[in-house]
Amino acid sequence: MLRPAPRRTRQVGKAQQTAVAYALLAPSLVGVLGFLLAPVVIVLVLSLFDWKLLSTPEFVGLANYSRLFADEDVWHSLLVTLYYVVICVPGTTILSLLLALLVDRKLRGMKYFRALLVIPWMATPVALGLVWSWIFDPGRGALNQFLGVFGIDGPAWLSSPVLAMPSVAAVHIWQFAGYNMLFFLAGLQNIPRSLREASSLDGASPVAHFFTITLPLLRPTMLFVLITNVIGSFQAFDTIFVMTEGGPGDSTEVATYLIYDEAFRKFDFGYASTISVLLFAVVLFATITQFVYFERRTTYEVSG
Amino acid sequence: MSLSRRTFLIGAGSVLALAGCGSSDDKASGGGGKVELVYRLWDEQQEVGYKAVFAEFTKQNPDITVRMEVLPWDQYWTKLTTELASGKAPDVFWLTVDYFPDFASKGVLAPLDDLISKAGLKLDSYHPNVVQSYKFEDKQLGMPKDMGIVGLLYNKDLVAKAGITMPAELTWAPDGSGSFLEVARKLTVGSKQWGFCSWNHSQTQWLNWIASNGGRAMDKPYGAFEFANQKSVEALQFARDLVFKWKVSPDGTRTNPPTGQATEMFYRGEVAMFPANNALLPFALPEVKFPIGVAAMPAGPSGRTVVINGLSEAMFAKTKHPDEAGKLVAFLGSEKAQKLMGDAGYIIPALNNAGAGYQAFWKQKGIDVQPFIDSAAGSTVNLPIAEGWTAKSPEINKTVNDLYLDKVPVADIAASMDKIGNDK
Repeated sequence: MLRPAPRRTRQVGKAQQTAVAYALLAPSLVGVLGFLLAPVVIVLVLSLFDWKLLSTPEFVGLANYSRLFADEDVWHSLLVTLYYVVICVPGTTILSLLLALLVDRKLRGMKYFRALLVIPWMATPVALGLVWSWIFDPGRGALNQFLGVFGIDGPAWLSSPVLAMPSVAAVHIWQFAGYNMLFFLAGLQNIPRSLREASSLDGASPVAHFFTITLPLLRPTMLFVLITNVIGSFQAFDTIFVMTEGGPGDSTEVATYLIYDEAFRKFDFGYASTISVLLFAVVLFATITQFVYFERRTTYEVSG
Repeated sequence: MSLSRRTFLIGAGSVLALAGCGSSDDKASGGGGKVELVYRLWDEQQEVGYKAVFAEFTKQNPDITVRMEVLPWDQYWTKLTTELASGKAPDVFWLTVDYFPDFASKGVLAPLDDLISKAGLKLDSYHPNVVQSYKFEDKQLGMPKDMGIVGLLYNKDLVAKAGITMPAELTWAPDGSGSFLEVARKLTVGSKQWGFCSWNHSQTQWLNWIASNGGRAMDKPYGAFEFANQKSVEALQFARDLVFKWKVSPDGTRTNPPTGQATEMFYRGEVAMFPANNALLPFALPEVKFPIGVAAMPAGPSGRTVVINGLSEAMFAKTKHPDEAGKLVAFLGSEKAQKLMGDAGYIIPALNNAGAGYQAFWKQKGIDVQPFIDSAAGSTVNLPIAEGWTAKSPEINKTVNDLYLDKVPVADIAASMDKIGNDK
């Protein structure tokens, strides 16, 4: 009477636990299914249709895909995207690691500095893009005014096919370095201080300590930062949209911009979906490659 | 076939709705009888002018108010197209020639012929090019609003500094002869001041060169493109020569859209002569520190022909208030409304002989807009229209960027333009 059969309790308890678990998961499950999985499925389906938004969708099988493989603009945009990723990922990673090392010390007011560095990430990308367009403005922009002080006639940053990409990439790096710094900072603070003392007792220079101890122990953080950055750079859109609209020419026309162009300027939703599927595949491939590479080389435990 | 049937059904539907509303007015308006219409535009200058227009409209129709929604140019089309597709669009909105073909063939625009005749308006009292631009399968799907005419703006200070007077008649020819190039050369000083700006803008630039050289963009509306014809290629070559051969204009690295700053260069006084649609005046005036002069576009070997880009007021075919929206469209086409906008200097009304107030307004501001009016009365050419134009037009414009970079041969560029345009 006082205690029911233990076996039954466990069963009821288990079922109840499962129900509670699902109940708690439900809100985020709805989010994942409704806003992540469903759009992916819809885009996959749409990529098989000829749909000009105002016209009736028409099933065309793989026609969009054969168009895709013959479309120079698409391959060009993938190269442009790759160029963007190649500048942004190392740039953001290195800068954020340096910033993390810089602010990883106990000084008065340090937490305000940390917060300050994260602000660019919290600002609206479109607003950032606008402000940076003004800074880069060849005539009256802050950057060229500044260069003018030293007698340098600054170039037209955003309308030069050569400089436009590095310029928009610089804004990306500036925008995300502070945010990524937070992860490195957390990673650094997980490394026991005793290791620092031990290595300095052994006469290791700070540089040697960094490369032989800190960096290897930061690998899990590095994995996370690199993967999220690669994905983030592949999907970059808003600042480019505001600053260059893919131009000059098509020098900053990254894949996401091409998708936007096809969907919302030319209203070819079917084909835009097809390019999205391609971009999805590319990002998936890049992410899996990174995972496999790091899996082999990462230790998650400091002790042992 | 199914397309025209659908258009017909929607057309018939709105006519029935119009007829139905007339007899059951009190029944339909159970909630107080007030109707608010949504009116969409992209020009925040003209928004101010429309306040007076809608105040007058509500005075005449006390039960109908109009709410304006102003969206920036890019978002305007994205949002409008998405809304038209989803069946929830503004009741009345602005439409350009560029976007007209794609909308017209999809049955989202209400035919206006009946309400135009019912309101006692006559289509032949508007500029024929604007009327023609918004006709589809013999139905009028846009109420002529204004005429955007291309003229040559110039910086009076720079002209005075160069010690010249603007000739009454500018001329050009593909070989570089004519008074236009002569003036442009005199106005080019060092590497910081250009006499002219030859840049990639179809409406105010290369389409005019083509037309005044006796060429044409296409043989007929919805027809075949002819950019690769000799006359067109000569005109396109001239646009390039102004930059690289005669050196009177900055090149594409500084002017090509989307990042180029051609208009700003004129505002800043770095470019002396700048072709523009007259609708630019209200925007340009507060930006510039010099007096603006207006000349007619240079006449080419076959005389002067300028591009006319008149806007129209379009009515959503599935509007919930077809009766009220119809009244609004008819009012916007009326002399009263067109003159309100013209007299305040915003537009040259599409209605014939309603432009006197426009001239008076700008005369007060020290700008003589007579050349715009004269050009509109002279030989004009419509912007090209073709099926699928919303997708083709940006593609063609992108190709023309090369014209201002001196790498790809002009004939190749023209061939690419035709290929994009004629692609089915």
